Amino acid sequence: MGKILMKGNEAIGEAAIRAGCLNYFAYPITPQSEVAEYLSRRMPEVGGVFLQGESEVAVSYMLFGASACGARVFTTSSSPGISLMSEGISYIAGAQCPAVFVNIMRGGPGLGGILPSQADYFQATKGGGHGDYRLLVMAPASVQEAVEMVMLAFPLAEKYRNPVMLLGDGLIGQMMEPVEFPDHLKSEPTNKDEWATNGMDTRGSNKRNLVKTLFLDAGKLNEHNLMLKAKYDRMKREEIRYELYNIESDYKALIVSYGTMSRVCKTAIDNMKDEGLEVGMVRPQTLFPFPENAVYEAASKESCKVVVSIEMSMGQMVEDVERCVKGKLPVKWYGKCGGDVPTPEEVVEAVKSFL
Amino acid sequence: MGKTFAKPEALSDQHTHYCPGCTHGIIHRLVAEVIDELGIKGRTVGIAPVGCAVLAYNYFILDFQEAAHGRAPAMATGIKRVRPDLIVFTYQGDGDLASIGMGEIIHAANRGEKFTTIFVNNAVYGMTGGQMAPTTMPGQRTTTSPFGRNVKEVGMPIKMAELLSALETPGYITRQSVIKPKYIVRAKKAVKKAFQYQLEGRCFSLVEVISTCPTNWGLTPVQAVKWAEETMLPYYKLGEFKRPD
Amino acid sequence: MEIDLDGIVIIVGNYGSGKTEVCINLAVNRKMAGLEVRIADLDLVNPYFRTREAKTRLAELGIEVVVPPKQYMQADLPILSPVVAGMIRQPSQLTLLDMGGNDVGVNVLAALGDALSGRKIHVLQVVNPFRPFTDTAEGCLKIRNEIEMASRLSISGIIGNANLIDETTVEDIYTGYDFVSGLSKESGLPLKFVTVAAELMPEIDIKHFTCPVLLIERQLVPPWKRSISLASKMK
Repeated sequence: MGKILMKGNEAIGEAAIRAGCLNYFAYPITPQSEVAEYLSRRMPEVGGVFLQGESEVAVSYMLFGASACGARVFTTSSSPGISLMSEGISYIAGAQCPAVFVNIMRGGPGLGGILPSQADYFQATKGGGHGDYRLLVMAPASVQEAVEMVMLAFPLAEKYRNPVMLLGDGLIGQMMEPVEFPDHLKSEPTNKDEWATNGMDTRGSNKRNLVKTLFLDAGKLNEHNLMLKAKYDRMKREEIRYELYNIESDYKALIVSYGTMSRVCKTAIDNMKDEGLEVGMVRPQTLFPFPENAVYEAASKESCKVVVSIEMSMGQMVEDVERCVKGKLPVKWYGKCGGDVPTPEEVVEAVKSFL
Repeated sequence: MGKTFAKPEALSDQHTHYCPGCTHGIIHRLVAEVIDELGIKGRTVGIAPVGCAVLAYNYFILDFQEAAHGRAPAMATGIKRVRPDLIVFTYQGDGDLASIGMGEIIHAANRGEKFTTIFVNNAVYGMTGGQMAPTTMPGQRTTTSPFGRNVKEVGMPIKMAELLSALETPGYITRQSVIKPKYIVRAKKAVKKAFQYQLEGRCFSLVEVISTCPTNWGLTPVQAVKWAEETMLPYYKLGEFKRPD
Repeated sequence: MEIDLDGIVIIVGNYGSGKTEVCINLAVNRKMAGLEVRIADLDLVNPYFRTREAKTRLAELGIEVVVPPKQYMQADLPILSPVVAGMIRQPSQLTLLDMGGNDVGVNVLAALGDALSGRKIHVLQVVNPFRPFTDTAEGCLKIRNEIEMASRLSISGIIGNANLIDETTVEDIYTGYDFVSGLSKESGLPLKFVTVAAELMPEIDIKHFTCPVLLIERQLVPPWKRSISLASKMK
């Protein structure tokens, strides 16, 4: 199959099907409703499950119930909807069930607006729901990358028995780009029978399985949390993904940027290169785990004088960037979060102002 | 001489955590007996609520999931949609189902999700320590209605069976009780019917069970039965409210 | 070959087929041919990338764009301006209605039924065979049916808009042309014109086509790209 032209939202839906996920529960919200619209046509074609739940809260528990009995599941939403799902996400993480959540971010807080934003960085990487849990968070910068990340998200969710989140902004969901789909994913989770409530007959066992999050004994809860922490530490060792741009040059400034914003930054970096100003970039593809060493090493280059976190938020990722740079260089923030994506010219101006 | 009384296979040997005079144990047993009789132990998944029955999975030898407050019907929906062959029941109390989980239960019932809900109504929040529930009786004292439920401020107790019966989608909705043996016999039949409707893939089914909570009501088990019979049963009428046929 | 279109032209098609880009460029093309042109943005479905995004640039060329009131421009509310019915009753030499995608996007046409009744209108279906659901003639005809049912109007022609945006090749244009020619034969609907992006035009052999070609100067671009200044090639 050759390339076809798809909206990010449609491509995300199709990618999930090709990842072998035939179970989709969702609630409509702009700017991601096209995923539900696309899958309401496609799921019946492939014999899958499509259900529009009564709320995002309910949807998160539909995912939980279905995942807990061993099914591959996913949902998509946008910022206010993810806030509602965060309750369920905490339970799913606590109960160690795999599930994939896609957040096509819009402006906030509250209803905010429907235009693109990256203001849910904290929510995705630092919490959202209650308790000591982490999501593996991936941030695509193109429709093609969204497809690849969706197809990666399911095996990763199953490897760690943990929810994985795809964090895109409204533009990733709404823009159209040519895409090529990889082959269908063949893998099936292998250890399902050890934990899933898929019915004792299904696994030919007299031993029942229990999916729960309650540990009334302090020692047992601590043990449970230590075990979860070990998983998150393993993610930090094995799952960091990032892209470097213009990193071979003797750059004067280093940009850290992700998603749609990073594409604007690339144009800005090209424009500055034409003017004779070298600027490098680290683009995190995973936001948790964050590419800590990559940022530190890139900031260690002798020519580099400043690190700038450029994001469509009022300065969220910049806190992680500061943490990684460890005081070696000044760390600055530039961004907007009303829905207007900063232009390449604005990025150039901001970077120059910090030099 | 043969055995005349035995523990259902679907129940474990675990000592109960329920208080003396609490009827959760009876209801657990009815559900377990029905599961034994229908021979569905190997393909049944139970869903525990938040409430006194959160530890229900300690007593059932069945695959079990533990829900968040009120969300059991959404989880059951998820299971039945991806594994229609599994038999799924939620076991929920009145705070869980009629307060925080009102949205989930109404929409699951209205979609006609093919699972069974056992709804235990004892007119009070048990686990959290005796606070007012949506089903608390007018004038009933609880830790958050110390002067008695004031219906002018918080409205009348919600009759869930009637409310769910108003939905046009076919379903099996009944209210039973287990406070006396004569009621228990009828309740068992209702529970069985509810599971049978699910087995036949017919409809959503819900059995509301009027129950007791001597500890939080501040009564002896015998007084509690009397109070339930005199105060609750006239308001929460027993019977079948809706059948799919 | 000149594009020959005037009166009320309603641009429909499946979701993401390129209606808005076609509409903007068609408006410019006709304006340059000397017609008085107005566009109504009736895309009540799509939250981003709508005709309203190009309003200022079109206004500079003397093309009026009717959009929802300013305070609702970025809303995801389905707002139908009463001005639209007025511009149908008193049409310009060319009145373009840019609809939302699929059958859902043309529901609003049924609401404008009174204003449209008895008028001569063109309803043109934009087809991009590189989009899902319209990569076969069968798929295109299914969309046609759905749009006709929802709008209670008959589609009267086809616009071929084969493209993969930046990655479109000359080969893709010819393949797309063959596809819509076939679709035209199968459906009995005339092929009104096909589109070619400005940057591809120098490599295209115009004699390949038996229908007119509309030059596309992309306006709805992501923020890291620049739109081509409208009518640059025509001046």
